[in-house]
Amino acid sequence: MKGIVTYMKRDFIKWTRSKVAVISALVMPAAWLIFVGLALPVKFTGNYLDFITPGILVMTMLSAGLSGGTLLMFDKILGFLNKFLALPTPRSSILIGKILFITGRGLIQTTIILVIALLIGATLLSPVQYGLTYLVLLLFGILISAFATTIALYLDDHDSYSAFNTMISMPLFFTSSALMPYSVMPTWLATIAHLNPLSYAIDAVRDVTAGGFPTMPILVLLLLSIVVLTICMQVFRKVTV
Amino acid sequence: MNAIETTDLTKYYGDLCAVDHLTLSVNNEIFALLGPNGSGKTTTVLMLTTLLNPTEGSAKVCGHDVTREGEEVRKKLSYVPQDMAVDIKLTGRENVRFFADLYGVSHASDCVDEVLEVMELTDRADDLIKTYSGGMRRRLELAQALVHEPSVLFLDEPTIGLDVAARKKIWEHIRGLRKKGMTIFVTTHYMDEADQFCDRVGIISKGKINALGSPAELKARLMKDVITVRVDGTCTPPSVEGVIFVGRNGNEVSFTAENGSEALPVLADSLARSGVTIRAMSLREPTLDDVFLQAVGPQEEPHGFEDGKFRVMLRRRK
Repeated sequence: MKGIVTYMKRDFIKWTRSKVAVISALVMPAAWLIFVGLALPVKFTGNYLDFITPGILVMTMLSAGLSGGTLLMFDKILGFLNKFLALPTPRSSILIGKILFITGRGLIQTTIILVIALLIGATLLSPVQYGLTYLVLLLFGILISAFATTIALYLDDHDSYSAFNTMISMPLFFTSSALMPYSVMPTWLATIAHLNPLSYAIDAVRDVTAGGFPTMPILVLLLLSIVVLTICMQVFRKVTV
Repeated sequence: MNAIETTDLTKYYGDLCAVDHLTLSVNNEIFALLGPNGSGKTTTVLMLTTLLNPTEGSAKVCGHDVTREGEEVRKKLSYVPQDMAVDIKLTGRENVRFFADLYGVSHASDCVDEVLEVMELTDRADDLIKTYSGGMRRRLELAQALVHEPSVLFLDEPTIGLDVAARKKIWEHIRGLRKKGMTIFVTTHYMDEADQFCDRVGIISKGKINALGSPAELKARLMKDVITVRVDGTCTPPSVEGVIFVGRNGNEVSFTAENGSEALPVLADSLARSGVTIRAMSLREPTLDDVFLQAVGPQEEPHGFEDGKFRVMLRRRK
């Protein structure tokens, strides 16, 4: 337990000491929110900003999670991982520490996006609705960061990792329900969107903002996170260089 | 119980045999594994530190098996890899504290102060690592490794890329640790350092240990000292125990001896007694370089194995 907190603290200190990284992570989602959310002329909803905000929140978490995989990649390339693996601290703490840091950082970023959305005209929700939104984002963050960190453990170098990151982040985003509802999608896209884990998170957040309680998507996300986390922890326990 | 015991330890990368049935025991000493690039030094260390599973054979650190009791083994050892990995955005104290917390050291802040003091880093402890020199970074890594008082310390090329003064300082610290009862296992390329500072060395080539013993022993075993005497006039070679007459070339007479520096005065006395006028005497001791070259033989670069693994190995040793 102490190991997890220690690993997490290290990443947080390093992150807060590099100002560029803090700001740059916010630019892309904010750009989407402002330039697409405010500008796109759509007919299926009166307030497109309210429609797209859940999608952007989940996207922020997705890119925070995927770019978080580079943390482990650099630990590996620079030789830190070898040192960590030779420590008596349980090796799964390395993974859990990374997940907590990446998800925590993602939640900070989504909070800022949420504030920007409110400032440019999104509808204010109740505290319970925000609580549920954070729960969904947390589960989704755990799922993505566990996956990204474990992939980074297996890839050879940073170039392969960034190629992997580009390869999956854009298709995942565009084949999800982030930009439009299933009803206006072409059928083939709707089918893919229904299978996309990103859609579960987005639909759940959208459900919350509409005043519902998304039992099913939350359960699916929870189950997925538990399965992925269990596999990843097993991988980390057995890892050799 | 020896600190490190290996029995037929073997590692294959695809078809390449990186470590070939290595049997070794090391206890409370500074043991250096010497060998050319690609000879299996780092692979051996990785197996002993539980980062790599052996293909065959077994190894024990402080009585615990490295494959079955990994966690117990990791409690006993500290490992400093070849590439210097310290967080440059953290201060020296934060870097060491980080490891103290990971090891679960009690009274962490006192322990951190103590190792920083031992490594002579107290003055700069609160500066960011960005401002540290290479030698200081290496000492900081040693401080990190020592904060939990390990029984066995593994150092992979501890002095690579450091200047002479920094190297000497690192070795002085390592010697100090040995005196406290720690077992230190180092790999190095620098023969002079191994000769000067290590209790025992093993010369490894193509995964096999070709020579094992104290530096002095190895030098004596593999090659005798050469004594050359310049004389005036005739000279009847005297019979001195342990000294063998080699031959005469002009007015230079050569002898070899097991231990040249001890044999030299005896030989000088003996020659003087038999009435030979000695003009000069010289003694050339074989160096560990000679031993190394003899043990290792002509080298080829390793080839014929998986490209992927090769790139990983290259990256590790840069």
